[in-house]
Amino acid sequence: MNKSLVLLIALFFTCTNLFAQNPTRVTIRGVVQDTSATTLTGATVMLLQPKDSSLVNFARANDKGTFEFRNVKNATYLLKISYVGFLPYQQKIKEFPNDVNDLGPIKIKPIAKELLEVVVKTAKAPLSIKGDTVEYNAASFKVPPGSSVEDLLRRLPGIEVDASGNIKAQGKDVKRVLVDGKTFFGDDPKAATKNLGAETISKVQVYNGKSDQALLTGADDGKKEKTINLELKDEFKKGAFGKITAAVGTSDRGVLRGNYNRFNKKEQFSVLGYANNINETGVNWSDYGEFKGNNSFNSNDNGDFGFGNGNRFYYMEGDYLNNFDGKGFTNNFGTGVNYNYTHQKTKFSSSYFYNQTKLNLDQYQNTKTFLQNSNFSTLDTNHTVSFRNSHSVAARLEQMLDSSNTIIAKTNLRFSGSNSSVNQVQQYLNNSEDVQNRINMNNGSNLNAYNFNFTAIYRHKFKKKGRTFAASSTLSTSSTDGTDNIRSLTRFFNATNVNDQIRAISQLNQNANTTTMIKAGVNYLEPLSKKVYWESFYNFNNSGQNVGRDAFNGNLESQRYDSLSTYYQNQITYNRVGSGLRFSNDGINLSFGLAVLQYDLDGKVYPQKGKPLTANISKQYQALTPNFSANIEFKNNAYMGFNYTLNVEAPSITDLQPVVQNNNPFYITSGNQDLLPAKNHELSFDISKFDPATFASIGIWSSYRYYLSQIVYSQTVDANLVTRTRPENMSGGKNFNVGMYSSFPIIKTKWTMNLSGNINTSNTPTIVNTVVNQTNNKNYTINAGFSITPSEKLIMSIEGNLGFNNISYTIENNQNQNIRTKGLSTSVKWNFAKKTFFETSFDYNSYRNDRFGFDQEIPILNASVRRLFMKENRMEVRLAAFDIFNKRQSIVQTGYLNTVSNQQALTLARYFMLSLTYNLKGHSDKLKKNGGFF
Amino acid sequence: MKKMTLIILLLAFGVWAKAQKNEGEVTFKRTTSWTKMNDQMTFLSKQQKEKNAYMFGNIDISTQTYTLFFSPKGSKYEEKEENTNGYSWRKEQFVIYRDFENETLTDVIDFLGKTYIVEDSLERPQWKILNDIKDVAGHICMKAQIKDPIKNQVIVAWFAQDIKAKAGPERLWGLPGLILELDINNGACVISASKIEFKKLTTELDFPKKLKGSKIKEVRYQQMIEKHVKDKFKEEVNPFWSIRY
Repeated sequence: MNKSLVLLIALFFTCTNLFAQNPTRVTIRGVVQDTSATTLTGATVMLLQPKDSSLVNFARANDKGTFEFRNVKNATYLLKISYVGFLPYQQKIKEFPNDVNDLGPIKIKPIAKELLEVVVKTAKAPLSIKGDTVEYNAASFKVPPGSSVEDLLRRLPGIEVDASGNIKAQGKDVKRVLVDGKTFFGDDPKAATKNLGAETISKVQVYNGKSDQALLTGADDGKKEKTINLELKDEFKKGAFGKITAAVGTSDRGVLRGNYNRFNKKEQFSVLGYANNINETGVNWSDYGEFKGNNSFNSNDNGDFGFGNGNRFYYMEGDYLNNFDGKGFTNNFGTGVNYNYTHQKTKFSSSYFYNQTKLNLDQYQNTKTFLQNSNFSTLDTNHTVSFRNSHSVAARLEQMLDSSNTIIAKTNLRFSGSNSSVNQVQQYLNNSEDVQNRINMNNGSNLNAYNFNFTAIYRHKFKKKGRTFAASSTLSTSSTDGTDNIRSLTRFFNATNVNDQIRAISQLNQNANTTTMIKAGVNYLEPLSKKVYWESFYNFNNSGQNVGRDAFNGNLESQRYDSLSTYYQNQITYNRVGSGLRFSNDGINLSFGLAVLQYDLDGKVYPQKGKPLTANISKQYQALTPNFSANIEFKNNAYMGFNYTLNVEAPSITDLQPVVQNNNPFYITSGNQDLLPAKNHELSFDISKFDPATFASIGIWSSYRYYLSQIVYSQTVDANLVTRTRPENMSGGKNFNVGMYSSFPIIKTKWTMNLSGNINTSNTPTIVNTVVNQTNNKNYTINAGFSITPSEKLIMSIEGNLGFNNISYTIENNQNQNIRTKGLSTSVKWNFAKKTFFETSFDYNSYRNDRFGFDQEIPILNASVRRLFMKENRMEVRLAAFDIFNKRQSIVQTGYLNTVSNQQALTLARYFMLSLTYNLKGHSDKLKKNGGFF
Repeated sequence: MKKMTLIILLLAFGVWAKAQKNEGEVTFKRTTSWTKMNDQMTFLSKQQKEKNAYMFGNIDISTQTYTLFFSPKGSKYEEKEENTNGYSWRKEQFVIYRDFENETLTDVIDFLGKTYIVEDSLERPQWKILNDIKDVAGHICMKAQIKDPIKNQVIVAWFAQDIKAKAGPERLWGLPGLILELDINNGACVISASKIEFKKLTTELDFPKKLKGSKIKEVRYQQMIEKHVKDKFKEEVNPFWSIRY
């Protein structure tokens, strides 16, 4: 009894207590009005969490301006009201004691009309409202460069600046101007506005009343001071980077390399330079990209229109890249500057580059040439010293005139020079390996050239979607001026007559060639429907060439060899009109087209410049060339492409020139005026699939080419083993290529396997001593490798490859050649201690050709240790050993036409090098997994 | 009298226009800047980021066009075929259906080579309302913000004060006005309305007869994204090369 009474009392007590507390759910209502008590229908009313402004609920004012939140959790809220043209209103509401709460009329203030009209509507600038503070982005108001803040303020709505620089905001005098919230050189508001440049300002804030003091303490001191705060720009977009490397090595090796880049939002400026004797003839991709900056990649804007022109892609030109071919020793020097300007619709870039290379080459070559049922060998020992240099200036401008018109103009000017001297001994061995002839050659040459090129492209988009027009024109001129100094002494060991045993040549050739080319094209694309397009283009090309060559007796320069001299004028005009249909829809692109082309060739031959014409060759070729292509993107990242085209190519000028080249008396070439264009059918097919989840990929590609007519060099070899070649048209000959590649992870993020293989078969006809020889070349290569990343600090790779090359000749079928190559390469990158890295690579290659009795193995081992020092790892010290086994040399084995050869050249072998690199922005102290691009 | 008629007509038109303002079609331009995206790739050094911006700063932008159909009942957001140069790339499936009446979502999304149908109940995103206003496509918009912790994104939305619709582009919705602009991670991706057309919708919001793909829940979809982002960060590859940003 007692117990239940206590319980009852307790229960009652809890209940009253509950009733005494605020209700858990409440209804909140109110009326939204403007300052003149007009109701604002449709105003948005929001309830926010006070701690982080999270949206809890929202309602809209009805046509009487009334809003209501029913049955919302009773809590402290931020009530926010927004209405077009009014300042967002904010009010803190505390927990309510009653179920239904009427907030009554809430008056919201309009935004100054000029702010709304000018800032928000016209300048499209965001307006930031913090209580009574209105802030807007100064960058949206354009002022001329060099303007002061005062000039900027004059443009801002609601602000007036009088002649003496006094500022009024919303009609009231501005007493204080702050910079980043701080006073700027005392209290004179004009100190900042007159002295600061407008370009340094990112935001202008106008304080509508409360002083800083009031804002800070929260206690309104009643002072209504107009204050302007100028916020300075974040300087992130401006900066500089660069690095410099100096290295010294054993055997007098040295490297000096550096680049420096400065940039801001609009401009990029870079300088680059290198000097070395370690066979770096240019810069690497990474440094080249930094040098060219945002001009590294440009769309394929060469102005050549043709089928499928809609599919434009970006590519990188590689003018000054390291292109060392692995042979000889080089001393290199290069330097350049680049400037890019990108702003709104203008993109301009220009660069200058100078480079030079001195080459010292010792090379040995063994060539076997097959004749009908016989063959002969050539042993060639060659020592070349050459020097070449070039100055190159380039500029490119891309200007968007408006949203539908763009022009691109680019120009390039290059001066280059070279001189070389070649010391060469060639021995000719007959079938039974007896030396038949020996020739000692001592040739020198000197060449100066210039090239100029200018291209302009105009692109227009019509109002009708998909209708486009483009036009381009190019002017290009080049001229070369050179002399060849030919000296040779030949011994014929089989000669019976004393007079025939030795022959000496001493000759001086003076060559002067000029070429002028004018090129133009137009392209028009018309959408016939949403999916079908009609494409048409026209190309015109006219190139004129003057070739002058005066051959003189090297010992008696007044004696001209008329038979070896010529003056030749050549005009080639090319016209092509093409039209086709394209179907494109949701990843399926099909196109079929037909083009008509015509070559007009006009050649004039003179015995000497200024002398009367000796021969006039005039030719015209026409051809109809079809083109078909299909590109299909399937679901699941699979892709298929098919392409067919008929290629027609005019003979090259050198092949048309009726000029005898006798620089090597055992290999004499001459041109052929009667050549017809080369024609071939080309088919290609490829298919690929990519899995974005695992990054696994697989692809197969193939291509087939069949020559209706190709230009081959017919050979006549006489008893003295002197070869004379002449280009001729021949039908037949084909080339087939098929390959696959695949890459897939074995253990996700740690082990990846790469596989690839390729088969190439070709059949090339050639005429040897009036007999047609078919050379069949079969080439198989296979590659397999792994890349392994066991941890952040260790990256390894291993790869092996095998290559088989079988070559057979129909005129000498017991001489089939089998060339074998094998290779293995491994690399390890190991971050074994803090800021310290060990890197090594081992490459093993073997070359074999049993018929030559040739078997060569080349193991190359490199290793280096580097450590980062200084603040931000700016300094890198590296000790490297290159080719530790001292085995490096260049070996190239090739089978071409009726020959097979193997070439060996000396090159830079073992050396050790210590290098220091200072990087302004510091080196990365991690191993890069993906080369650093994105 | 004539004036009076005109005023009445105008008024009537005004009322009609107002009545229509919660239903229609919006065209959005979606621009992605790949170098700006690099800011969130923590595995890249400051120098690599700067170098990428230096080299690719002006060719790293890709633009797509999207259409949003909206009404008080629901919304549909999908890519618009933009075939202007006569070459067509395959459209990725990204069709976002929102049903505000039954509070459900049905999204058809290509994710890592597979098509999924994300079906779930609608959960209102946790928006924060900020104090800035801006004009987008002729409408004054207020600023709101949300975080996506899985993709590590800060998303700013600008919603129109005068368009009564809860809809928005991408997978976002739930503000007191139609969302006309989204800005993901400081301009790395901006989805902005270029054209707004108020009209009565007919069948635009209906599902196609057959939706192809495997059905999953929202939680599963988010888990798949989370795993992919983690894996790619480990491999030091931008995860958004292979999934939608």
